[in-house]
This record gives sequence, structure tokens and C-alpha cells, in this order.
Amino acid sequence: MNNLYIAPTASSPEIDLRFDARHFLIKGEAYPENAALFWGEVINSIRRFAEEDASVETLTVDVVLTYFNSSSTKMLFSFFDILNEKAAGDTPVVLNWYHDEEDDTIYEFGQELCEDFPDLTFHDHALQG
Amino acid sequence: MNYAVLTQRDNTNLHWRIFCECAQDRNVIFYYEGYFSQTIIAAVSDAVKMRTEQVGAANTTRRKLFSSFIEMTQNIIHYSVDAYVTQDNRQFNNEVRHGSICISTQAGRFYLHCANPVNAAVAHQLQQKLEHLRSLTIDDIKREYKRTLRSETPDDSKGAGLGLLTVARDASAPLEFEFTPIENSDHMLFYLKATI
Repeated sequence: MNNLYIAPTASSPEIDLRFDARHFLIKGEAYPENAALFWGEVINSIRRFAEEDASVETLTVDVVLTYFNSSSTKMLFSFFDILNEKAAGDTPVVLNWYHDEEDDTIYEFGQELCEDFPDLTFHDHALQG
Repeated sequence: MNYAVLTQRDNTNLHWRIFCECAQDRNVIFYYEGYFSQTIIAAVSDAVKMRTEQVGAANTTRRKLFSSFIEMTQNIIHYSVDAYVTQDNRQFNNEVRHGSICISTQAGRFYLHCANPVNAAVAHQLQQKLEHLRSLTIDDIKREYKRTLRSETPDDSKGAGLGLLTVARDASAPLEFEFTPIENSDHMLFYLKATI
């Protein structure tokens, strides 16, 4: 399956889904005009990959978001829901959740993901400054 | 102040000075009134980030101001009834809408104000939602936020039904709002204020 790359804009994050390397990156600020449209493409790709992929090698997701709006929040939940199902099978999924050490909102959202998706191996990374 | 001078046409400098003094008296650090589009929001976001940093707001406060700014301005794009229409119908853009946003500060607190016209049905829904939010404690708000995050998106929402909850969660006091009838129109002017 083809990798998916979406370059960052002022209001949408960089998306780098490297299916061949089993590595995914989401980085930047997320307040796209139409969250359902923007995240829809990302979620559909990951869903198709999850269905087709037969390997049990670890999948790694690095999330380095500095801001996401309310409608993106919901979309992120759907994104991790798919990966959690994958992890509930035989494929380990590591989620590296990066946030500024002072950013309680993003830290707490990471904790929500951790609670709701217990099959993900969750690593919290607090960044300085 | 002799307001009679304001009616004289050659007093434009004075008008400008009064406008600036009024903004200064009310500690307005940012104000934009006009059409909002996604591109405009992104550009204005940069200005808001710089301005809140310049006035020395703490990092956490700046993040909350930014978050509420985005939710409020994207609400204007989604719900304002005043959409921009160009002469050429093919250029009609339903996602460019009119409203205003203001940030002011007083005694270490920051206030976000926004206003836009809405139709009667939207006014009714907003009023119910906001009255409900005002009745909740901050712990209730956090619980409702978590519940809404995990529930289906309501049909009447163009976002995720989380926008106002997000603003309420980041605010340090209950949200304040007002609906004012607009003359010769069935629409109402919706005003919302968040204290950060």
C-alpha cells in the first residue's frame, strides 16, 4: 500500500504515514477548515492499511501536535480507535505522545487516549520550552 | 467633551483619537471586525499569538486564549448568517462570513469577546446550550467534555459539538452571552464572552 504524505499548512499538520517502514508521524497545528474532510483521508488510509496488513511487526506512531481544535480532537479519537483494534490483535502499536511540559490540555488528552485505548503501548514525552 | 464637534465632517482626526482612546481605556489588545475565512483566521492567529506574547501573558494563558480564539472564529465561519457574496455567483463562498473578535485584558485576566448575526433557530439552540453550560461547575464541564468526545456528533453541529464545551473548559468563569434583535431583520446579534 502506498505511503501517504500531506505537507503542513498554517492550519493543518504534517502527516507522514510510512506504511512500508511501519512508522507514522503527525506533527504541527491542527485546525483545518473542514476537520472531517482533512482527517477523513488520514483515517481511511490507516483503516485500509489495518485491514490489509498481515504482519505482526510493531507499528510506531509519533504525535507531535502543538494544538488541535475541537473537531480535530474527535477525529484523533477515531484514528487511535483503529490502531487500538490493531493492537488488540497481534500487532503491537507504540504511541509516542509529545507535548510541551506546560501544556496540560494535550497531556490530559494523551491520558484520555491511554485510558480508552489500553492496547496501545503509550509513552508520554514532555518537551521543555 | 463637546460631542457637537463629532458631527463636523472635518474632525476625522478627532474621531480617530476618540476611537483609539476608547480602545485603550478598555485595554483592548486585539480587535478584528469583518469577514472571516480559514485563510484569514490562520493569518490573524499569527497576530494574536504575537500580541498575547508581547503583553506578557503566561504560556498557559496564551494557549487557552489561542484555543478559544480558534473555536470562536470557526464558529463565525460556520454559523454567522452574514455570508460573503461576490458579484460572480461562481465565486460565491459560503465559508466566508462576517463577525468580530476582540481580546481585552484587565487586572491580570483576559477576555475574549465575539459577535456575529445568527438566525432565530441557531439563536435558540445556542441559548439552550449556553444556559446549560452556565449551570455546570468546571468538573461537570470536564465530565461532559469527555462524554461528548466519545459520543456521536449531533446532526446540527458542523464541528464535533465540542466547540463551546472547549471554550467553557478553558475559561476561568462561566461564559457570558447575549442575543440582541437586529433592526428590520429576523436575525439576532449573538455576543459571547469568555474570561481566561
